[in-house]
This record gives sequence, C-alpha cells and structure tokens, in this order.
Amino acid sequence: MILPTTTVGSFPKPEYLTKARFQFSKGQISKTELEQLEKKATKEWIDFQEEIGIDILVDGEMYRGDMVTYFAENFKGFEISGLVRSYGNRYYRKPVAVAEIERANPVTVDWYKFAQNLTKKPVKGMLTGPYTIMDWSFDEFYPSRRDLCLRLAEVIHDEAKDLERAGAEYIQIDEPAVSVRPEELELAIEAMGIVTSGLKAYTLTHICYGDFPKIYPKMLDIPVNQIDLELSNNEFDLLDLFKKAPFTSDIGLGVLDVHSHRTETKEEVKARIQKALKMIPKEKIYVSPDCGLKTREVEEAKAKLRVMVEATKEVRETLGG
Amino acid sequence: MALETTIAGAYPKIGDTTEEQKLRRALHQFDKDEISEEDLEQVKNEVTEEVIRQQIEVGLDVVTDGLIRWSDPLTYIASKVSGFEITGLIRYFDTNTFYRQPVVESRLEFIKSILVSDYQFAQERSTKPVRAILTGPYTLAKLSRNKFYREFKQLAFDLAHIIHKEAEALQEAGCKYIQFDESAILNHKHDLNLFFQVYEIVTAQLSKAEKTLQLNFGSLEGIYPKILNLNVERIGLELTKGHKNWDVLKSAPFTKKMMAGIVDARNTKMESENDLVKAVHDLGEHISLEQTWLSTSHSLEFLPRPNARKKIELLTNVAKQLRGASVS
Repeated sequence: MILPTTTVGSFPKPEYLTKARFQFSKGQISKTELEQLEKKATKEWIDFQEEIGIDILVDGEMYRGDMVTYFAENFKGFEISGLVRSYGNRYYRKPVAVAEIERANPVTVDWYKFAQNLTKKPVKGMLTGPYTIMDWSFDEFYPSRRDLCLRLAEVIHDEAKDLERAGAEYIQIDEPAVSVRPEELELAIEAMGIVTSGLKAYTLTHICYGDFPKIYPKMLDIPVNQIDLELSNNEFDLLDLFKKAPFTSDIGLGVLDVHSHRTETKEEVKARIQKALKMIPKEKIYVSPDCGLKTREVEEAKAKLRVMVEATKEVRETLGG
Repeated sequence: MALETTIAGAYPKIGDTTEEQKLRRALHQFDKDEISEEDLEQVKNEVTEEVIRQQIEVGLDVVTDGLIRWSDPLTYIASKVSGFEITGLIRYFDTNTFYRQPVVESRLEFIKSILVSDYQFAQERSTKPVRAILTGPYTLAKLSRNKFYREFKQLAFDLAHIIHKEAEALQEAGCKYIQFDESAILNHKHDLNLFFQVYEIVTAQLSKAEKTLQLNFGSLEGIYPKILNLNVERIGLELTKGHKNWDVLKSAPFTKKMMAGIVDARNTKMESENDLVKAVHDLGEHISLEQTWLSTSHSLEFLPRPNARKKIELLTNVAKQLRGASVS
C-alpha cells in the first residue's frame, strides 16, 4: 500500500486517567488500580485507530508522563532533579545521571505486547533516543556528553532488540533534540548507529522543528529507514530544502499541526500530501501528525486524525494505490 | 578591589519547599482571576527580596534582582516597548527552555523606563550593589520576528536607541553596573560590524555606570580580540572546564575587565573547589585578576534552586580561598 498512515506516539490521556495519575501521586490509589485504567485507555485508543483505519498503530503512551523522564525512571543510574523552569510558569524535573546507566529489565516490552495483542495491525515499539535523553538530562557521572550519550545508546539498543524479539516490526526512536546543536549531529548519528545496529525491524526517528537548514542533508545519515518530520507547523517550508538535496530516506510527513486547536480541513491535508508528492516518490511517504498529540483534548485529537486518514485515502485513490 | 563574585543574571524563581513555591502558585491564581495584579506584584516583591537576601547571605559582592519578574529573556523587555506583539513559544538557544517570540508589528518606540523601578526596589533592599540586566538590542532584534522594518539593520538601530535610553535612565537612577546580554552575536559573527554600530548608539555618553557585555551560549572564537574594541568596560564569557574560550584567550591579551563564568550553571555536577582555584590561577596568566568578577557561566534558572545555591556557595568559597592566598 502507498501512503501508509501512522502517528508520532502519544495521545491525550482521558480525564479519568489524568485524575487517577494525580490520585496515585498522592498515594490515594494503588499501582494496580492505576495500571488497570492505563490499560483501559490504551485499549480505547487501539480501538479508535482501528475504527478510523490507521495503518501502523501506537499504544498512545497512556502510562508515560514525559518522554525522557519515563526512561530515566526505569533505568538504573538516574535520579530525578528538583524543579527547573521550562517556560513561563511551567516547571519540570530533569533526570540526573549519577552512576553507570543500566537497564535491569525491559522497560516498554510488556506494554508493546499488551497493545499488539489487541490488534492484527502492526503496533510500533516506541523509544526515546540516546542523544535526546542525554541532552535533556543533567550529568554528574560521565566525563562528557559523548560518554553519556553512547552509554545510553547501548542500553536503548538492548531495549530495541527486546522489542524486536517480542515481535515489533516497526521501532521508532525519537530524537527531538537532534536539530538543536548542529555541531553534535555526528554524535547523534553515531549513537543511533549503535541503537539500530543489527535490527531487522523497520526503524524510524522523529525530529522536531529546529535549525534544519544547518543539519540538512547531513541528517539523512541518521541510520534509520525513515525520518519523521514536523512540516505543517512551518507551512511546509522545509520541502524547499529538499530541492537542494533530495530526501533519500523514507519520510514521515507531518500533516497536522499538533499545537493548534483547529481541525485541519481535508483539502488542507490533501494539499500538503500533494506538495510532498512533487518532491518525494510516493513509495517513500508515510503520513502522520507533526508530533505527539498528547497536548490536545481527546476529541480534538480524534477529529484531526479522522481528517488525516480520510484525506490520505482520497489522495491514494487518485494515485491508483 | 580584589577578585569579586556575582551571578550571570537570573536566580531560580521557585525552590522545593511550599513556601519557596509561592510565586508559582500566585501566577496560577492570577491566571484564574483568583488574585489581583497587586497581590501578584506583592509576591514578586517578596521573592525578589528573598533572592537578593540569599545572594548576600552566600557572600556575593555584586548581586542582581534575580530577574524574578521576567517570564523569559525576551518578553519582559519587549512587552514594555511599543510596537511588539508577543506570540508563540520558541526554543531559547540550545537549551530545553522556551521564550515567547516578540513580533515587530510597527515602529518600535520607547514608552517609559523598563527597569528603573525594579532596580530601585532591589537596590533599596540590598547592601551590595545591584547590577541591572538588559537583553541587548542585537539579541532582541535577532530573536524577534521582523514584520515591519525593511532591513534588519533598521530594527537593530531602533532597538539600540531604546536600550540606550533605558541604560541612561538606569544610570540616572544611580545604577553603577549595567549588563547587556548579547548571546546572539556568537551565532552570527559575520554581523560584527553591525554590532559595533549598534553599540556606538547604546553606549554613547554612558560613562558613569560600568557597562558589561555578556557573551555566553558559545565562544568568542572569530570575534576575539576585535570585540575588545567595543566601548564597554567589562566582558562576560564562559570559562567552564574545557571551554573553547580558554584557547581563544591565548591568542591575544585580554584588555578589559572580565566577568569569568567559571562555574557551570547548566549542569548540577559540582566542580571541585581546587580545580576552580587552579582555573583562576591559569586565568591570572592572561589577565589581571585585580578587578575580575568570578561568576556562573549562565543564568541560574537552568538549575533547581538548591543546586543553584550550592553553585554560588562554591563560587564564594573559591574567591575566599584565592583572596586568602592573596593571589590578586
């Protein structure tokens, strides 16, 4: 099939789960009670993705808070810091590497299996990349950023291997931080090489908007089958870059602005796909939102995804796919 | 005066305890219309007083007001200049923090003083001199989006006049130290000539206060030693362990006073006191330590408050050790 549809990873948590997570943090409900609700929400999202006809599914990350802290909490060697400001009145806690990073047990495999058992369609294994975990952490243990990054690469490679063994056909390793320091792109590429080394699964990475002109086309050297990009948020300006050097990997084409409450029209999404088709062969294009949808309301996210799938189907028909 | 200590700019707005989080709570309540603007202002005042007290307690020689009232490095200034609209979030340099991007919608104009009342409030509550921090015109221009001026240069010059007026007003109010944060020039070194033109405007007849140009988020490679010709008395730079600036300094004598960012404010890892003492000794081979300020490499807002406090304690301990050994 051409133009397979997928999503970047996270979906909004239903209200009952947000409430339960809060109660759990206050010690008012047990871990088991929380987990039951996380499973209920995961099943609802799997059902929704099947119902609207998404081709490659995700578990929606109902059990994760933050994409970096989730892994840090589950690896040995990390502690969690006090509060630091992100912007305005928003604060978060950062991981702190305080000892050799180790993975005592697989972190995401049980959730992958749970989700995959609910559907016959493929579910993606979802990981955060070593460069991003390193960049978003404090480091009190390793002598350099490089050392921490490469150690994380080994640990995440083990996790990816376990996902593959559990049956994952698609493994996504997100690196949103990669576009921020062009001078460290080489390191990110080297680290991803360690993560994906020897994997037979289809691998992809998601990169958020940053100074792409400074890392393109070098970023095509990131050793994955597909690079998924945020494109709607910047009016598809990025596509112009591809005129200078062709986009050689498969592309995950971000067609929904995840920061906006407004639902795109079908025509807008179709226009975005068609614009990309002028630049990139149709066999290389996967259609997805710009980024994780977790900051949208449940109904907003659902409306946007419905439009994405319908628009893609219509474009597919015109291409005889 | 011998070696002195200071921080690069902001101090963490909140800490770990409930009491230390009152500004965060007040901002939430204000957003929900549960408290008035005066109530919020009162909390900002209290927290500002508290962070000045903490800096003095630790023993810093020159303090800041902690930039407690600033929601980010751009908008506090930009929202007080006519012609800007404040819009969506953008990543601040290579950090994982964000600012709201100011958009230039019409000719920029100075309405009234931006920081003078903040400065006066802080200085009245401090036994140590308070240094005023201004985002410099070049960085303001570069990190904003220009929808009005035909050329970037015109935008930069208009902002230069505005910041000049503000610096004059601060000087009039008795402020002895004024800092201009200009990290953006380190990412656009080809603009150095324009940068010099901008600073001719900013620093014209500004001779009473000591002017510091703060250059972090990068190295001075490529603009050093030329940058020493700028009309400021002091230049701030990152000098954490292994930083490229150590090599840059070897290429020519440093002829200004220095604000040496020897303590890493972007990582919780504590430097060893001995390593830092040695680093300052090394620095003494390039510059006169006589009027040097030792400081943090960046604003302390990249650290949780307890870690920030430990870092400035380290800074003052290093200075004490060096003064004891009468290095300077």
